[in-house]
Amino acid sequence: MKRVLSNKWSIAVFVLPTVLFFSYIVIVPIVKTALFSLLNEIPAKVHDQSHFVGLQNYITMFTPGRRNEFPGAVSNSLLYAAVSVFIQLPFSLLISLILANGVKGENLYRNVFFIPVIISSVVVSLLWQRIYKGLLPTLLEQLSIPIPQNGFLGNKELKIWAVSLPSLWQYVGYHMLLMYGALRSISTDVMEAATMDGASGARMAFKIQIPMIKPMLKVCISFSLIGSFKLFDTPWILLERANKQFPALSMYVEMFSNHKYSYASAQAMFIVFECLAFTLLLNFMFRERQEKGMIPEGSKSERE
Amino acid sequence: MKKLVALFLALAMMMSLSIVFAEEHKEVTLTMSSIWSAETEANRAPFLKTLAEFEEAYPWIHIEMDWNEANAWKDKGENLALSDSLPDVFYWNAGGVLWNLVGSGDILALNDYLTDDIMARIEGGTLTDMTFDGKVYQLPYTKACSALYCNMELFDKYSVKIPETWDDLIEAVKAFKAAGVTPMTVGGSDQWPTNMYTDIIALRFAGDAACRACYYKTEGATFMTQDWLDGMSAFKELIDLGAFPADAASLTRDESEVAYFAGEIPMYVHGQWFAGSLSPEMQQKVKAVKFPTVAGKKTDNQWMGGAAEGFCVSSYTKNPDEAFILCQFLAENQSKNGFIAGAGLPAWKYDFSAYTDINPVLLQIVEATSNAESFLLWGNTALTGEDATLIGQTVYQVLAGEITPEQWCEDMETIFQ
Repeated sequence: MKRVLSNKWSIAVFVLPTVLFFSYIVIVPIVKTALFSLLNEIPAKVHDQSHFVGLQNYITMFTPGRRNEFPGAVSNSLLYAAVSVFIQLPFSLLISLILANGVKGENLYRNVFFIPVIISSVVVSLLWQRIYKGLLPTLLEQLSIPIPQNGFLGNKELKIWAVSLPSLWQYVGYHMLLMYGALRSISTDVMEAATMDGASGARMAFKIQIPMIKPMLKVCISFSLIGSFKLFDTPWILLERANKQFPALSMYVEMFSNHKYSYASAQAMFIVFECLAFTLLLNFMFRERQEKGMIPEGSKSERE
Repeated sequence: MKKLVALFLALAMMMSLSIVFAEEHKEVTLTMSSIWSAETEANRAPFLKTLAEFEEAYPWIHIEMDWNEANAWKDKGENLALSDSLPDVFYWNAGGVLWNLVGSGDILALNDYLTDDIMARIEGGTLTDMTFDGKVYQLPYTKACSALYCNMELFDKYSVKIPETWDDLIEAVKAFKAAGVTPMTVGGSDQWPTNMYTDIIALRFAGDAACRACYYKTEGATFMTQDWLDGMSAFKELIDLGAFPADAASLTRDESEVAYFAGEIPMYVHGQWFAGSLSPEMQQKVKAVKFPTVAGKKTDNQWMGGAAEGFCVSSYTKNPDEAFILCQFLAENQSKNGFIAGAGLPAWKYDFSAYTDINPVLLQIVEATSNAESFLLWGNTALTGEDATLIGQTVYQVLAGEITPEQWCEDMETIFQ
């Protein structure tokens, strides 16, 4: 067995089917999309009229203009990503710390926070639609607070927040569970030693628990960022057809409603590069911190 | 022996007859897509009746139905066309969206099947937006038009006169607002219900010729005229007066109509199919009238609508003869059943004198349109692709207060670039 595993050709033979399959369903579509993004817009089914236009579609994507909604969609996704990383994740971390430190009914709370994750996004969106169009306006009316012009989902300033909130709410439990699992895997010896040294709960959280689950925090931030750039279902359902508020929505509308395949392909490539760039940036940032010794040796050995 | 020979001959004759019969009526299964998936759709019940009638008339032609919602089918159909996968027979809009599929070779020209007898049964003028270069690509099942639906109970209660002119309409809106009643409703987030308002207002201010030139992108046409601007400004005036619910931009069509059905909204501009959604009780309260006219514009008798919907046969169907039979049967009989059910105006000639219980609101529309000067397809139907999306988005943005009427004209002008 050792001889087989040490032979690179043998490894290649075993890996080849997976590589071919992965290439066919992931690499080939990405390459084809990239090629499409460099062509002019062509009428449906008339492929012989296509010709190379270089980066024109990418330039159009970011050319300033009141009707060019893509830059706004990108800034909306960045705003959503910032809210995810700086509000949703800290909230998930807080809940996971409280639960991991042992509270009465820990299992119950853990399950309650996780329930939204197992509900379909469509159901969650419809639930929040009822809140925005029925429950919340009625409540505000009872309290004599004015309802925003055009409602929560029609108001230009409010709707970006209104469509973001359901997704943020839904995935709090998901990140909480990941962090909770990581916190639970910290050796009890470390925690007991800290307790014996007289460390308070907050001190243990900031000096021991959070540094030791940094690899999991990195995973959570990656998921959160990529999820933000790909956000589609919730705003699509909440805002019906009336929107290109996020890059994935804009891409869909350009592709399937406006039939601008090359332009939509350029937007798709932008989303791919955006996700890749932020993942690499995240890796770089966390590597920097590891090199500077920000992550304690204990946690490294724990992982190893 | 003679008896045996006679029996043998009789059996042989029966077998040969059955073979001939089977050859004449080979079993065929056709795929079909319609848009009336929701139980609340006025056309659904008459369409189910039409399907049942077809099954009885042509038992050897079987139908595999695919039910859709209107907006969803528009996107789905266009994408099926890209892979030559459209069903044998399907619902589609006329005008620009039909031209898109004709241009890409997805729709069968029906001229070879349209006998003089069939052509004589179709209402005059209904094939205009279904014919390109002399070829008919679609058969209509209804004539459409938009009307102003007035709830007479509310008009009487608050002593408001049914608006006949634009000034009357403004007065009516103010009177209802003063009484604490929301005067009109619209499902802004679905976009196209807002087009019902903007299109008819634009028609009143700019006229059929100017609107038609823009929607069909005729050379020299422009949205940058005072008439277009006046039309969109008039729509903005309604918004500013609070004619629509405060959250109109976030309501779907279904949500927006709830208050109307509950008898809380006095006015609503919508297609003739809305008459079929009214309960028998509401039909007695509602009066459908012509949209208010604008003084000095000479557009009083122009209407939005025409034969905008019908059935098509895909060009790659394996059974074109049977597909045409289905297409023609559905168009003609849905026209009859739809009118009897109050869902639409007939596009085929039929003697309805035996039917005494036809929806009174629909009869009012028939009466009002009897001397119509012209019918113009709605902008989002006449325009195609990105242009159709644009007109939907921009009227939504005017409704939501995101752009001004001037910006709407500028934005729409980009379709000519």
